[in-house]
Amino acid sequence: MKAIVNHRIFFWTLLALPAVAAILSGKDAADQLHGTGEWSARLLILALAISPLVLVARRARWTLWLQQRRRYIGVAAFAYAALHTFYYVMDMETLPAILSEITIISIWTGWLAIIAMLLMALTSNDASMRWLRAGWKKLQRLAYPAAILTLAHWLLIHDGVTAALIHFAPLALLEAYRIAHHLNRRKTPAHA
Amino acid sequence: MRKIIMSALAAATIAAPAMATGKVTCDVPESEWQPREALEAQLTAEGWTVRKSKVDGGCYEVYAKDEEGRKIEAYFDPATFEKLYVAQRGKVLFEKK
Ligand code: HEM
Repeated sequence: MKAIVNHRIFFWTLLALPAVAAILSGKDAADQLHGTGEWSARLLILALAISPLVLVARRARWTLWLQQRRRYIGVAAFAYAALHTFYYVMDMETLPAILSEITIISIWTGWLAIIAMLLMALTSNDASMRWLRAGWKKLQRLAYPAAILTLAHWLLIHDGVTAALIHFAPLALLEAYRIAHHLNRRKTPAHA
Repeated sequence: MRKIIMSALAAATIAAPAMATGKVTCDVPESEWQPREALEAQLTAEGWTVRKSKVDGGCYEVYAKDEEGRKIEAYFDPATFEKLYVAQRGKVLFEKK
């Protein structure tokens, strides 16, 4: 059992399930935007939450389990964003239609978010890691602007802000904890 | 600190208040409502392509493409069909004063 749960394929299957369900549902492209957008955002939030979770939960085993799989979660977040964009393009049908609404803030925040995620996804392999060296870590920090752009996109495009805020509140709290933790440590180094 | 964060986390995850979604609300007795199909038909005649409609906040909410081809979300009074609010991807195009 443990061997299965810890297997890569198990985790990939888990990450793919919502996509499979969405594709099989046969819904119109316009109706697929909701689910694919939310899953992308959820996975992006989860990927970002792992480091502070490890800290808050004092390196509990499950947080380390997640930490080992963070790259897969990040790549899956991008895959859902790509699917989301695919359905958007299918729904808009033409390039002029797409361009006609690209100046609306709720839309360009989405495009910028996916560009940031694309850069991260393209470099999420060992070869890029070696090639970019110290630059790699910096590049992966694009996840923060991507998350903020996603939050803006969500708040502005969706009817009502509750869903977006509920999803982002845990991450905000975790980051607040991490910042407080680092500030404390700096003040009282002996305590560290 | 750690305990506070942990409990706040739990609360934030569990508490999912079911707030009204819309930006517009209507307060019209249901006995006065006209059928939603009539609104759809009227909008179609005016050049809109209606994708779907539903009741939201007591108003009729319509997802459609307007006569200029913009994907919009619009709210109407369910009794008079007066247009109350129109937005394209969250950008307000019309709001009744
Ligand atoms: C490529 C550029 C993007 C475009 C053009 C775009 C477009 C859209 C549209 C049109 C909607 C409204 C869906 C509806 O009416 O139900 C939407 C919703 C949403 N999008 Fe995007 N999106 C983009 C990128 C992203 C990215 C990168 C993410 C996440 C990382 C994301 C997450 C969401 C979320 C969470 C929603 C709200 C779902 C809902 O409740 O409707 N989007 N997006």
